[in-house]
Amino acid sequence: MGKMGEGSCSEEDLFDLLNQFEHILESDPLIDEVGFIHPSQFTLLNKEAGFSSEVQPDNRTWRSFWNQDHKLGISTDVLIRLCKDAKHVFLTAFEAYKCDVKACSESCSICTLESEVMKHSQSVLMLSSDFGTAWNARKLILSKKDQPCAFTEELRLSRLILSNCPKSEATWSHRRWIIKMMAQRFSTPQEIITKESELVEAVGERSKMNYRAWYHRCWLVSYMTIEQVLQELNKSKRWAGLHVADSSCFHYRRRLMLKILEPLNVKGSTAYDKTEAHKIWMEELDWNKELVERYVGREALWLHRRFLSLNWIMYFACNHSDVPSETGQSIIMNEETVNFIDNEILLLESSMTIPDTKFEDFQAQALHAAAYMLWLTKHIPELWRMLEEKLGTEKLKCVLSTIAQERSSLLHHLVNHTVNLA
Amino acid sequence: MVQLVADKHVRYILMAEKKKESFESVVMDHLRMNGAYWGLTALDLLEKLGSVSKDEVVSWVMTCYHESGGFAGNTGHDPHILYTLSAVQILALFDKLDILDVGKVSSYVAGLQNEDGSFSGDIWGEIDTRFSYIAICCLSILKCLDKINVKKAVDYIVSCKNLDGGFGCTPGAESHAGQIFCCVGALAITGNLHHVDKDLLGWWLCERQGKTGGLNGRPEKLPDVCYSWWVLSSLIMIDRVHWIDKAKLVKFILDCQDLDNGGISDRPDDAVDIFHTYFGVAGLSLLEYHGVKAIDPAYALPVDVINRIIFTK
Repeated sequence: MGKMGEGSCSEEDLFDLLNQFEHILESDPLIDEVGFIHPSQFTLLNKEAGFSSEVQPDNRTWRSFWNQDHKLGISTDVLIRLCKDAKHVFLTAFEAYKCDVKACSESCSICTLESEVMKHSQSVLMLSSDFGTAWNARKLILSKKDQPCAFTEELRLSRLILSNCPKSEATWSHRRWIIKMMAQRFSTPQEIITKESELVEAVGERSKMNYRAWYHRCWLVSYMTIEQVLQELNKSKRWAGLHVADSSCFHYRRRLMLKILEPLNVKGSTAYDKTEAHKIWMEELDWNKELVERYVGREALWLHRRFLSLNWIMYFACNHSDVPSETGQSIIMNEETVNFIDNEILLLESSMTIPDTKFEDFQAQALHAAAYMLWLTKHIPELWRMLEEKLGTEKLKCVLSTIAQERSSLLHHLVNHTVNLA
Repeated sequence: MVQLVADKHVRYILMAEKKKESFESVVMDHLRMNGAYWGLTALDLLEKLGSVSKDEVVSWVMTCYHESGGFAGNTGHDPHILYTLSAVQILALFDKLDILDVGKVSSYVAGLQNEDGSFSGDIWGEIDTRFSYIAICCLSILKCLDKINVKKAVDYIVSCKNLDGGFGCTPGAESHAGQIFCCVGALAITGNLHHVDKDLLGWWLCERQGKTGGLNGRPEKLPDVCYSWWVLSSLIMIDRVHWIDKAKLVKFILDCQDLDNGGISDRPDDAVDIFHTYFGVAGLSLLEYHGVKAIDPAYALPVDVINRIIFTK
């Protein structure tokens, strides 16, 4: 305990603070949101909750924690102390637990230590969500449980922690571990997959472009049935339309759309599969075009279009073959493909006009459009000839100089390469 | 133009280790091993590794050693592959790899390889291409790559390649500059760069440079000094570094310095930290900035350290 005596408070006080914290967590199991708040916010929150400042008891709990309507606020004044104490108490308990397990002590002693470890690891993680050893301790104990409720409860705790630390990698990883355990022991719960997906969307709302959250949603796809994949594609559309700069959300849609293409890669895929996939692909392309025209200059939208167009050409351009074309391979220019490319060239042309107003956005739009077309040309060299034909030398020069302004070395390399190929 | 205030950064790094009273340092102490690697490598790049006590650091590193052969992020914590690489890198910096039980450490790392060639981070099984890189980098430094199935490890990494030429943490995951560094680095160390479409990946990577000269790690994100390392080292490994404007990037990194108290931040005028200080200095090293030692883009260690390891039996 030597280290604990540091600072101005006595040892007793410190444990008191941790005890109070753990008492709050125990007595209100429905807490669904936690946050660190500045002491000055306490007065404001109390006022909002209808407490007058005179009747507030001036004890430590009141100044350290705020707990109303299942929301928990922790004062930033006590964080360091609380976190240090929680870690110390947790590590001590975990050490004792491991010793007991090794020595095969009596089961009641192990049980007591087990609940100590669970209690203190929870405190640590509420304050320091990436503290891996605390998550590991919980995994160790949980892996000995055989009731589903222990795992559901664990999902609740990690959800609570995500409300404060939405980017915590260890917390997301722990959720995947729980779900994998549940899938192994009690069969894959489909409603959990749906709920997880909704959780990511809610977290994504408050924490923009959160790679870890969206990665979690992508991970769920492997557990989804094809019906769920289609549902998810529908459900995430609205959110994506409202967050057009969130590239991660569009990547999630790409993941779902590739899942729809999967049956086409195996022999024996039916014409029905292909018609359905074709329809979904066209819808996404049309919708993306609407967004591109409405939200000018958004990189995420144009990158999504690169993916959509290249796959469309690879999978649906050639009518006669069942197997998708490899990228770089010669593409059969049937009527549908020619029409498709004609339309893309029209989109390019309209995106190149820069009006006087909102100059920067339109400049970005022109750059993304030019880069989009050149990117497709890198994959499908035949496109170059079509571009020359449709645009004419002057306009093509204009497209190239748009890119040259931003990325001259890249363009230099590409043009030398593409012209040689075509 | 602003210059690199190397002496102030050295002082900042040395002081950062002593300041343990902020909430940031308390919530970071589970990854102290990573922090030590960042700080010490930055010091070495600035030719000031001599200003820390080698014995003190090495003996602390060894208190994090676990009987399984792995290292923890701090004393008393659980081992993880993330901290095992940092520990090995720190010992390499100090030329103290000989104190390791190489057989045991390499068995710990090799034991984390899965049937499909991927690597878990620890016994709890999370899979990520970062762990593939760490395993390959670590075993290569220890000269034990023969302990794993390299072919399968490479196949798994290649299966994480996306249509945009980038790589994610598992198959189908979004491309991210940090993951790209890991995948390209692992392929470079094992001599498998032919699996990378260099033009396509180079395109994605050079599109990370914005108007300020700084690099971001994914589309639509703000520039951040740490990507000076992840993006730049990848571009160097695939020989496409001339596709970005290097002078503008140098200026961006220098603008992120705290000129009074030392340290480098993610963006100009933000608060500095040890992580960004390391990546800023490492980025400048890759950009051949005067007065900073050369760093190896795949191993993330000074070139002279890597040469010493490779040329010793």
